[in-house]
Amino acid sequence: MQRRSFLSAGALGFLGLNLADLLRAKPNGKAQSCILLWLEGGPSQMDTWDPKPTSSFQPISTNVPGIQISELLPQLARRMDRLSLVRSMHTRGSDHPQGTHYAITGHEVNPAMQFPSIGSILAKETGARNSMPPHVLTPHWEKARQYEDYFRSGFLGPEYDPMCIPDPSKPGFQINDLSLPKSVSAAAVENRKSFLQMIDRRYRTMVEGAEHAQMDGFQTQATKMLLNPAVREAFDLSKESDKLRDRYGRDAVGQSALMARRLVEAGTRFVTAAGFHSNSWDTHAKNDEGHRDRLCPPLDRTLSTLLDDLKDRGLYDSTIVLAMGEFGRTPFVNNDRGRDHWPNCWSLAIGGGGIAGGRVVGASDADGAQVVSRATSMGDLFATIYKAFGIDWTKEYDTPIGRPIKIANSLEDQTGQPLNELL
Amino acid sequence: MKTLLPFLLAAIAYAADPVAVRLVPATFELHREGAAQQLLLIAEYPDGSTQDLTDAAQWSPNAPAGLVTAKANPGPVQVTATHGKLRATASGRIETAAGPAEFRFRAAIGSILTKRGCNSPACHGGVKGRGGLKLSAASLFPQDDYEWIVKGGEYQVLSAESKTPRVPRINLQNPAESLLLRKATGAMPHGGGKRFAVDSPEYQTITNWIRQGAPFGPPEDDTSRVAALEVYPKILTLEKNQKHRLLVTAVMANGRREDVTAQALYVANDKQIATVAESGLVSPAALGETSILVRAAGQAAAVIVGVIGDPIANYPTLPKSNFIDEHVFDKLRRLRILPSALSSDAEFLRRVCLDLTGTLPPPARVTEFVRSTDPKKRERVIDALIATPEFTDYWTFRFQDLFRVALFANGINAKWSQMYGEWIRESIAKNKPYDRMAWERLTAQGYDGPTRHFLPYDVIGSPEETMAEEVRVFFGRRLECAQCHNHPYETWSQDQFWGLAAFFGRLFKMGDTGNEYVVFDHPLNEGMGNAEVNGKIETLHPRTKAKLTPTLLDGRAVPPSDQANPRKPLADWMVQHPYFAEAAVNRIWAEFFGRGLVDPVDDFRSTNPATHPELLARLAAEFRRNGHDLRALMRLIVTSRTYQLSAETNPTNRADRVNYSHALPRPLLAEVLLDAIGQVTGVAERFTTTVTASGKVTQQTPSGTRAIHLREPDLFHSRFLDLYGRPNRLALPERSGKANLGQALNMLAGPIYNEKLAHPESRLQKLLASQATDEAILQDLYLTALGRPPDPAERQQILTALSTQPNRSDAWKDLFWAVLCSREFAENH
Repeated sequence: MQRRSFLSAGALGFLGLNLADLLRAKPNGKAQSCILLWLEGGPSQMDTWDPKPTSSFQPISTNVPGIQISELLPQLARRMDRLSLVRSMHTRGSDHPQGTHYAITGHEVNPAMQFPSIGSILAKETGARNSMPPHVLTPHWEKARQYEDYFRSGFLGPEYDPMCIPDPSKPGFQINDLSLPKSVSAAAVENRKSFLQMIDRRYRTMVEGAEHAQMDGFQTQATKMLLNPAVREAFDLSKESDKLRDRYGRDAVGQSALMARRLVEAGTRFVTAAGFHSNSWDTHAKNDEGHRDRLCPPLDRTLSTLLDDLKDRGLYDSTIVLAMGEFGRTPFVNNDRGRDHWPNCWSLAIGGGGIAGGRVVGASDADGAQVVSRATSMGDLFATIYKAFGIDWTKEYDTPIGRPIKIANSLEDQTGQPLNELL
Repeated sequence: MKTLLPFLLAAIAYAADPVAVRLVPATFELHREGAAQQLLLIAEYPDGSTQDLTDAAQWSPNAPAGLVTAKANPGPVQVTATHGKLRATASGRIETAAGPAEFRFRAAIGSILTKRGCNSPACHGGVKGRGGLKLSAASLFPQDDYEWIVKGGEYQVLSAESKTPRVPRINLQNPAESLLLRKATGAMPHGGGKRFAVDSPEYQTITNWIRQGAPFGPPEDDTSRVAALEVYPKILTLEKNQKHRLLVTAVMANGRREDVTAQALYVANDKQIATVAESGLVSPAALGETSILVRAAGQAAAVIVGVIGDPIANYPTLPKSNFIDEHVFDKLRRLRILPSALSSDAEFLRRVCLDLTGTLPPPARVTEFVRSTDPKKRERVIDALIATPEFTDYWTFRFQDLFRVALFANGINAKWSQMYGEWIRESIAKNKPYDRMAWERLTAQGYDGPTRHFLPYDVIGSPEETMAEEVRVFFGRRLECAQCHNHPYETWSQDQFWGLAAFFGRLFKMGDTGNEYVVFDHPLNEGMGNAEVNGKIETLHPRTKAKLTPTLLDGRAVPPSDQANPRKPLADWMVQHPYFAEAAVNRIWAEFFGRGLVDPVDDFRSTNPATHPELLARLAAEFRRNGHDLRALMRLIVTSRTYQLSAETNPTNRADRVNYSHALPRPLLAEVLLDAIGQVTGVAERFTTTVTASGKVTQQTPSGTRAIHLREPDLFHSRFLDLYGRPNRLALPERSGKANLGQALNMLAGPIYNEKLAHPESRLQKLLASQATDEAILQDLYLTALGRPPDPAERQQILTALSTQPNRSDAWKDLFWAVLCSREFAENH
């Protein structure tokens, strides 16, 4: 009944990368990594990707004939060939915690189960590259911690949890625990380790545990990492030109997206760029002003720059860019001139990494209230992403008690199906 | 190798003769012509071990390999088995007047589907079936199986309707063309491969059944419904050259016993340890412990199999403190494992302080305790610890974990989580009987008390999730599988699940400010002006859409009434149910040993047997007898010698992880570790929150607030606690305690270790300023952190190493760091 230890094989890797990861086949799809531009709070579909008469804003044409989006996104309109739109998202969870959990895991909240996020699943399926942490979330907002938990790995284990790093737009930005404090020299690290061996010798001869070998392996890796500047540099935005940093935007939205690009370039598999924090898009009041003044401009600027930058660096074809929130917003306007939560029918944008741009999947009715064609579930979206990575989207994981959990879970207990028109 | 010698010498000439033999079962009844009973001849040896001699014995009257079959002549029968000079007799009664057994679908066809693995959880018995065909596991629901076979159709999880038009899986006109037979014999492509041959008895039975018009037989009744499955033996020990048969008995609802050994399906959990044949014959493969799952007649059971080494000569008589030791040591003796020696005083004191109070013993206490010659000093320190405020703090923390105190789990208002947490603290402080605590939580209504766990994310939780959580917490069982389908491994049906969920179906919150809700049960026939609840007041079965009456697992319905809190009868029933005490003692046991007698602690099921079933039952009985007194239970556990064994192993018990032959090291819980680091460095952690009950003011906890005092993990941010596995309590906490890279990075580069060591008020800086000698500082550090003085060799080596360092203060910082990062510090052992 002993738990099998990966470490008995004697191989250990970076960030929980172990022998099983090393032996795992490399993903054989075009996609190598994915950036989620997280629009926390839930954008209004009719004021962004799915213009309707119920919006106060006009539709504009894009560089793809036949596709129109809101006038609030003029720069993206010129890059429509690099993004496709899904206008028929139909999901569950009508408040933020439930909606976020659903959007990130594909499952409804359940007090009996911690489901893995799509980022953790991709980290597990594809493994780490170039000693980079495979799964990162930035920025880490203390106030939104309950949402952050949904990005974790659930029963898959802590090695697939996202590494949560602070806001890279802040002047004092520093990665937790990724560089030695000034007071600790490389020599001190060696000194500490030799003391550690001295102190633990007696205990280790008395008590043996696989966990000890595991911790030793992690300590060796941690030392290598702290003493190796390459990894740290991946997190260092000062290596980018001021011009590019300006183009992304000097705020949390822009700099977290730039960070995402640097990390993906260095080898990270899944980055959540969560610069829109604290339910930014939750426009229960003054929806129009919010979208016009506060929300769409940075989205338009940052996502456009990200698409250009990925293209310039030859990363677009291997990097999926997904921009979405946890749900859409009501087609009708409330007494505060706001729009409320609407999981019934909403839109998102996706492209890159083998996922075609310039296409539209599904359609909503005249008001943007209901899906009228190609209803798409979170499981369908996940299946599309997995397929782009070359991962079997019909896979199920067994929980520790043997309950099968679909990695692409659709509605009514169905397995999600890829949106093949995008692949 | 020197230490092995006594054990090698122990392999004495062991071919001792048995002292006695007996037949199992000693009495039996056969009720129909053709019915059969397997008998086992069991030999007992002087050391208490047993052996199966069934296949070596002579049987009279002739019973090949112990199998007695009822012929047409009724009356009493004596069966005798002889082996060498020993003989044993069983008495049976045969009643065949009624002729051959009446045809019943479950017994005749269902048993074939079970034996051939068709309805196993990995195939058609799985949650959703396979290839459209859904069968119940081990034919638990024969009527359903019958319909899917005879009427056909494709199973759907969320609807009672067939997904496709119903096409029978049998062909009455031409039985050989039946899909059921063609698939099973491999005549048609079948994902499950060939299950039996065209000329097999199974094929014949099914063909005859179809020829006769494929009847179901009489409906299931108490003579045919199986209430329980018993397997003999429950725990089987095998030497490496022995084999043993299993005997499987179905106990019918009317109490009648029927041998189903031949119909059962056997699966060995770890074939590297032991294998099992189709007949139930178990063969050893390698030393170790595993279990064998047995499925028959809709039920499942498990046998623990220990493959044991050579006998140990002069196995010592072990001192025992209480009944825990009797059970644990008895099994160890049978497994030929010697427990470790009693822990040293220092080892014991650190362990028991951490386990009872989550706090390291202060250095003065360690010295005092080790020096004391009082023979009762361990009992005395246990009683003293149980009376400390730290005991209340620590167990409040443990139950706040289990009962899920958190901002988002309790109505998104710190007022409620604080109130709920305070109810737990008071309950622990007053040593409230645990059944009372459970009862109060289950029946909670109104503004105060333990009601707020009904408000995850500020909305009333769905009845099915609330119920599943209560069952998991208080019964240690995971019923949630049965929410969408009959439980795949257990006998829980979807109907039972929803009957139980209906007790929570009327939960309702009212109040308009968002802060002043009252939680209560909605009246039955009165609108409360709340459309959402008015529409939800009836709990409907998700597949059949039938309206549900609250119904206990035993089938007793409790019709709702406005005059009564619907959850009171549920709570009354739950706290008296045997599952309740059993789950409670198992949970508490795991807090002290790192694993439950049933493990995971909330996964009781017939296919996950307890390592020590009798001990579990005895602990539960004792707990009930003591009025569900948690402190008495903990005292019983920590006073046992089993708990007090050393972590140091010997050659016979090194590999053991499940039989408590030595203390297993356990990583300190995140909160306890952080508090311990604070204790050793002398610099306590200060916690901040960015969200408060009133607004968004950043608040710092008052000094002296320990990590175990924090109520809401989602309110008090701590990167350190997250790295070490603090659960968010938004789902039932499962702490893995596994090491990860983040921890290693944090140790080397993180603020907790580095800042605390450099802090001017730290223990180290104060000691350095006090002119204390290196030797004195080392002594203090070891006593504080490890609860023991350094041994002479360690002292020598460390002092020498320190003396060669250029900078004394830096050298000491490095050494303190090393102690805090050592496994000896970070584990409880």
